Amino acid sequence: MRFVVAVKQVPDTTLIKVDENGSLIRQGVPAILDPYAEHALETALAVKRPGDIITVVTMGPPQAAETLRRCLEIGADEAFLLSDQAFAGADVHATARTLAVFVKRFAPDAGLVLCGKQAADGDTGEVPAELAAQLQVPQFCYVTELSRADSGFTVVQDYGDEIRTCRVPAVAVLSVAEGDLNRRLPSIQRFLDAQKIPITTLGRVDLMLGTFSVGLRGSRTKIVSTQTVRTERTGRVTDGTDPVKAALFLKEVL
Amino acid sequence: MLERYKLNQSRADGTLVWLEIEHTPDGTPCLADVSKEILGRVRQLDNSRVFGVIFGHIELKPLYPEIFSYGVETLYEVHERRMVRFQPEAYAEALAQIAVRIEPAAILMGATPRGRELAPRTAALLDTGLTADCTGLQVKDRDLLMTRPAFGGNLLATIQCTTYPQMATVRPGTFPLPAPEPGREGTVIYWQYCGQAWKDIVSSESVVAAADDDICKAKVLVALGAGVKKTSLPVAESVARKLGGMVCCSRKLVEKGWFPASRQVGQSGRSVAPDLYLAFGISGSVQHLAGIASAKRIVSVNTDPEARIGEVADEIVVGDADAILKELDKIL
Repeated sequence: MRFVVAVKQVPDTTLIKVDENGSLIRQGVPAILDPYAEHALETALAVKRPGDIITVVTMGPPQAAETLRRCLEIGADEAFLLSDQAFAGADVHATARTLAVFVKRFAPDAGLVLCGKQAADGDTGEVPAELAAQLQVPQFCYVTELSRADSGFTVVQDYGDEIRTCRVPAVAVLSVAEGDLNRRLPSIQRFLDAQKIPITTLGRVDLMLGTFSVGLRGSRTKIVSTQTVRTERTGRVTDGTDPVKAALFLKEVL
Repeated sequence: MLERYKLNQSRADGTLVWLEIEHTPDGTPCLADVSKEILGRVRQLDNSRVFGVIFGHIELKPLYPEIFSYGVETLYEVHERRMVRFQPEAYAEALAQIAVRIEPAAILMGATPRGRELAPRTAALLDTGLTADCTGLQVKDRDLLMTRPAFGGNLLATIQCTTYPQMATVRPGTFPLPAPEPGREGTVIYWQYCGQAWKDIVSSESVVAAADDDICKAKVLVALGAGVKKTSLPVAESVARKLGGMVCCSRKLVEKGWFPASRQVGQSGRSVAPDLYLAFGISGSVQHLAGIASAKRIVSVNTDPEARIGEVADEIVVGDADAILKELDKIL
């Protein structure tokens, strides 16, 4: 069986700084594998059996290959990078379409397609459901547990006010909220092997998509205008090097 | 000719709102607050027709007067016993069929976990655009101008869908709860869903968050961030108890597994509006700040005087969060 894990490269949001105008300084911020995507990959690895193949795919600039390499080091078997100038500016619809076409053309035997619940930079988490609809398969969002029996897969979903256990059909899209990151022991051998696996780069033409199906032109939404939200420091700053005094001060202001 | 008769333009008009049904601990259905907020905003925007869609069975009947009192004129009820439970595939199919029938200019729903799952699936079936997590809605003729914070919150993007129906999910708590107008009337239309896209649900247990376990309703919140040690967790609980409040946290601590996701404040967690927000060791990522925009008073304790939370905090104490928390616990 083949698992497809769609991952995303995101800037490390904890390290993002802003300049004096309140705009983001993106230069020099390291890019990392999105934490939820890592959970998705771990979830797939946890149920993998001998003979199964885990395919990772990402859509992004050529630098996103580093993220795919990281996925291979974690334990994926093959990696595809969907990278093309034409893919730039894609909204949810265009992104899902590109991924759906990839799955149909390059991984038609895929069983489960796993995504992160949301990405650290966009936080909307809408690609998995849109991808599922475009592939015309059921979707299982906010998955916290995936278990495998001979009869098939079972997922546990967390809706916040409801914990639901469902049987998963042979083909489905899962968005993963939680996976066990500490399950796996790092191995030098796997790390070395991973460096030898080639990463296949696919462009718009390889996916046989038209220019109006991808990127900005394939999007169903457009940004009309943007405005910067300015924030000013108005708060009173107090020195708190002495915790006792600081606590007394806090008690006063509460 | 086409120009004159405007035959090449969509005739889409009106707004369709998915009314999310929540269940109280004893199983009574009630209308989710976010749906009321959306209906209130839609009524303010223009006078076009308002359609509502609910999924469920006979238990929904007592809700009709309430739904009409918030301004719904035509209510589609997809009448099916299996739809009392959330079924994203079936819901999306039925919603798309109704949208094809009534051709609304816009489809709106709350950005709740279920709304965020249903909206993209419906958008894909209708092959239309979707803007997630809006914090503002304006209209220009029939076109919706949707505002949402881009990349955390220091850039507000105004987004338009290029196709009809325009779809958006709206963040809970964005708009004020409208006052109901009792006595308003409307039409109920029963809709039959004939598809077979049912989920094979083995079991489902509702985790009813008790009223005292909802950080959105707490008046005082003690918030912990990556700057505190794990040993400070019980101290923070104790401080929160003494202040009559609750403990919440930033995303980092949920990722570490110290807190359940229900305690997370920020763009991917909850938006909170306490009277007092006491932040310990929170640097204030743009996503986190988006979640505390409605807090009345923010006090921050952090070793870094330049931390971003300082931009919104009323009082900034520069010092070690763990030590101050411990001292505060002693003197309260």
